[in-house]
Amino acid sequence: MKVQGALRLRASLSARIVLLFLGLLLVVQGLSFMAIRAGIDHNARAAIADELAVGERVLTRVLAQNAQRLTEGATLLAADYGFRAAVNSNDAATIGSVLANHGERIGASVTALLDPEFKLRAAAQPDLQELLPVTRRLAARVLASRHASEIVVIGDRPFQLVMVPMRAPVVVGWVLMGFPIDQRLLDDMHALSSVQVSLQVRSDALSPWHTAVSTLPLATRETLEKQAALALDRAGAASSAATSVSLADNEYSGRCVLLAEHDGAAVSALLLRSVDDAVAPYRQLQLALAGLTLLGVLGFGIGSVLTARHVTTPLRRLAAAAERLRGGDYDTPLRGLGRGDEFGELAQAFERMRVSIGEQQQEILDLAYRDPLTGLPNRLQFRNAVRDAIAAAEAAGRTVSVIMLDLDRFKHVNDVLGYRFGDLLLRRVAERLTLQVLRGNDLVARLGGDEFAVLLADLDPETDLSLTLSVAQRIGQAFDGALTLEDQTVDTSASLGVANWPLHAGDADVLLSRAEVAMYGAKRRTTGPMVYDAALDAASSQTLSLLTELRHAVDHDELRLYLQPKLALGSARVVGAEALVRWQHPRRGLLPPMEFIPFAEQTGFIRVLTLWVFDQAAQLWKRQHESGQRLTLSVNLSTRDLLDLELPQKFEALLIRHAVPAEAFCLEITESAIMDDPQRAQATLDRLSGLGFRLSIDDFGTGYSSLAYLKRLPVDELKIDKSFVLSMEKDLDDARIVRSTIDLAHGLGLTVVAEGVENAQVWDLLRELSCDEAQGYHMGKPMPAAEFSRWATGWTTRHAMSLTPGKGLDIAITLH
Amino acid sequence: MRSVPTPLAALAVTLALAAPASRAAGVVATVTDAAGRPLADAVVMLEPTGAKLPVKPLAGVEIAQRSRAFQPALTVVTVGTPVSFPNFDTVRHHVYSFSPAKTFELKLYAGVPSTPVVFDKPGAAVLGCNIHDRMSAWVLVVDTPHYARSGTDGRARIDGVSPGSYRLRAWHAGLVPGQEPAPQPLTVGTADLDSRVALPVSAP
Repeated sequence: MKVQGALRLRASLSARIVLLFLGLLLVVQGLSFMAIRAGIDHNARAAIADELAVGERVLTRVLAQNAQRLTEGATLLAADYGFRAAVNSNDAATIGSVLANHGERIGASVTALLDPEFKLRAAAQPDLQELLPVTRRLAARVLASRHASEIVVIGDRPFQLVMVPMRAPVVVGWVLMGFPIDQRLLDDMHALSSVQVSLQVRSDALSPWHTAVSTLPLATRETLEKQAALALDRAGAASSAATSVSLADNEYSGRCVLLAEHDGAAVSALLLRSVDDAVAPYRQLQLALAGLTLLGVLGFGIGSVLTARHVTTPLRRLAAAAERLRGGDYDTPLRGLGRGDEFGELAQAFERMRVSIGEQQQEILDLAYRDPLTGLPNRLQFRNAVRDAIAAAEAAGRTVSVIMLDLDRFKHVNDVLGYRFGDLLLRRVAERLTLQVLRGNDLVARLGGDEFAVLLADLDPETDLSLTLSVAQRIGQAFDGALTLEDQTVDTSASLGVANWPLHAGDADVLLSRAEVAMYGAKRRTTGPMVYDAALDAASSQTLSLLTELRHAVDHDELRLYLQPKLALGSARVVGAEALVRWQHPRRGLLPPMEFIPFAEQTGFIRVLTLWVFDQAAQLWKRQHESGQRLTLSVNLSTRDLLDLELPQKFEALLIRHAVPAEAFCLEITESAIMDDPQRAQATLDRLSGLGFRLSIDDFGTGYSSLAYLKRLPVDELKIDKSFVLSMEKDLDDARIVRSTIDLAHGLGLTVVAEGVENAQVWDLLRELSCDEAQGYHMGKPMPAAEFSRWATGWTTRHAMSLTPGKGLDIAITLH
Repeated sequence: MRSVPTPLAALAVTLALAAPASRAAGVVATVTDAAGRPLADAVVMLEPTGAKLPVKPLAGVEIAQRSRAFQPALTVVTVGTPVSFPNFDTVRHHVYSFSPAKTFELKLYAGVPSTPVVFDKPGAAVLGCNIHDRMSAWVLVVDTPHYARSGTDGRARIDGVSPGSYRLRAWHAGLVPGQEPAPQPLTVGTADLDSRVALPVSAP
């Protein structure tokens, strides 16, 4: 995701920079291009308009000059003395020849002499009648300005006529001369102004315009005539009008100049300027500009790409660095730290962050992989080490062993001597353990609590197990015996389990769990280090599904209530029974308590079992009570029960529900159960005692509880552990312990119950020692509740009287 | 510089000569132009309706060319008067006249031509110079002793006119040929007469 983000960043940022630059450039270029184009357009039009205006002036000027030239020629003729003499002599033949001669001399095509009254006197051309209207017009003007010129149409051709006076020295006549306006004149004009000129003439108002002379090629003549006619009609009587003409794919801007119009006959000059020709130089300019723009875009593009790279490269580096950090690489230093700009600062900050995070990461790793108390690797690191060792061993054809170790009774040490002492002990254990491991690549770890583990890597497959076992035994011996810490001497021992890869497990996790299984097996048997055995694991795997099955058992009535009788030693009477639970497993048959009680204690399910037993006991007591029996039923409470603050309420509810008195029940608690959390245990016990329950200390003598402590508890009864009773008839020490315990208990006002009475001698001995009650196979094993009445009847009839001679029985109870 | 008699002086001489001939009356003609303004340099002539009066050619009449101009621009002479054309300029002149009254030309010359030009027919002759187009002068040749030239006030006084029947004609250089007004009949008694003549010319 970060990589994508980085890509997007790069793509968008670079692209944005490049696009921005290019966009701005294009906008600027586009605007200037448009401005230039508009300017060119404007200029071209203005230039064309100017050229046409110039053309018009040039045309006017050329015509004026022509007229001037003509006028001068005519003036010369008029001033010629001989001519004047001839005129005055009225010599018609001479006059005619002079006119012709002179006309030829200056290229005039019309030469005539008028009398002062403007009547034609003589002419070089035979028929000039159509000139008469013209001469009249000229006469009117010539009187005012001494000479006059005019453009006229004669026979569909435009002519320029001039009239000058002949003076001798007063006006004695008028000389009239005319020139056709011909191609030469227009060519001159075209050469001067680069404007095409076409003279359009019309002999009268009804005739069509036609082209008399033109600088345009003949091929366009027809089109020209049509378009010119349209343009001229539009222009109408205006002396000068703008127009446009399209000839042979060439656009022309034009100007119609009306040169002369008299009585419908008209001469117009059509000045034309090719738009394409006018724009051509600008086109070159535009092409050059376009080329420049292209170069600019190219240059800008390259520049902006480089700039974008300059900006995004450090960003990419940072993104890549961040990605490396995410991937856990804290060791690769950042590049680009030397830049002096903001990116350099950012990179430096990033670099500092990398170093700092790396250090913190190292600390975190230390915390994660190291046990702070002992400084040993923790479970996590140990597991990784095992995994690595297995991988290495697999490659090298070697094996790996794990020894797992658990301190026995550490909990009690902690409870009795305090946690500080417990911690010291753990540290000392860690030191000892480390000392026992001789090989360099072996690893000692604290897995948690009082659990340690040793990794023996790179073992020879031939000798691995024996080597492992010898190490384990060495460790075991090192822990056997007393340990003195701060003037306290503690007896330590450890249970060790051994497992080997590939012998017992295929991978690290299984290997660890197998070692653990072996360790628990060793703990149970207390026979020194134990190597993993598949049989151990079968049991352990059975327990895994036990919880589900136990729940099922409760719900489906698979549990059975068993009773073991408690008898009064004095009267041999059955005074009570200990309520026990058995499990009628649908497949495995009747299961002994050891198969599920420890498990239930471990998981807390024992509370359900306790309630179940108490509920069953209460019902049983009710039934027995109704049938006349007065038995005290004992129910075992576990540590969990004692820690359950709601237990008294639950028991009370059951009492109420079954309408039974609390005094009918004795609750048995083991010493160790109380010692786990003495304060809470005492609170629970106080409340139970307050409810009226009798309380009994079970398995007395195995724990660390002192009588002084017991005295503070609301206890009524003490059950001597069977380990003291079993062989007390042979072991004098045991007998002494039993006797003193009985004496002490009696001294404290407690009833004493002996467990494990398996023969008559013990029975007798206990009776002699004034023990109050006894329990054991000698009298009766735990039996289904249904059989208890029958057994009690049988017992009473068999032994009651004989066992209690002299003391006398209170009552012989009758059982069904 | 030589003293040259002006046409006016000559006229004065003529009038002076005519006066004692008989008891004569004076005719004053006021000449106006087409707009009714007094017209100067018009020549007024009285021609008897009957027999022509005898005229004597004038003597010593000169039309000089000075500063590329004829001086005077208007000379009134009687028929048969020889006119001399002294050239006072450093350039030569070519004086000519195509007028029917007197056609002549004095080809490029300098100084005084050897022979004067005799104006032997009545009428107006316009003189020009073929070298200098702008030069022009008029010579009015009259065939009567009674003529006068109007002043700036347009008045022309003819003295010493014997009683009788006359035609009053007026001439001006600006008259277009053929547009001269018809002569006015005028009967002269012993008393002075006032007459008005309007000429279709526009004052310069």
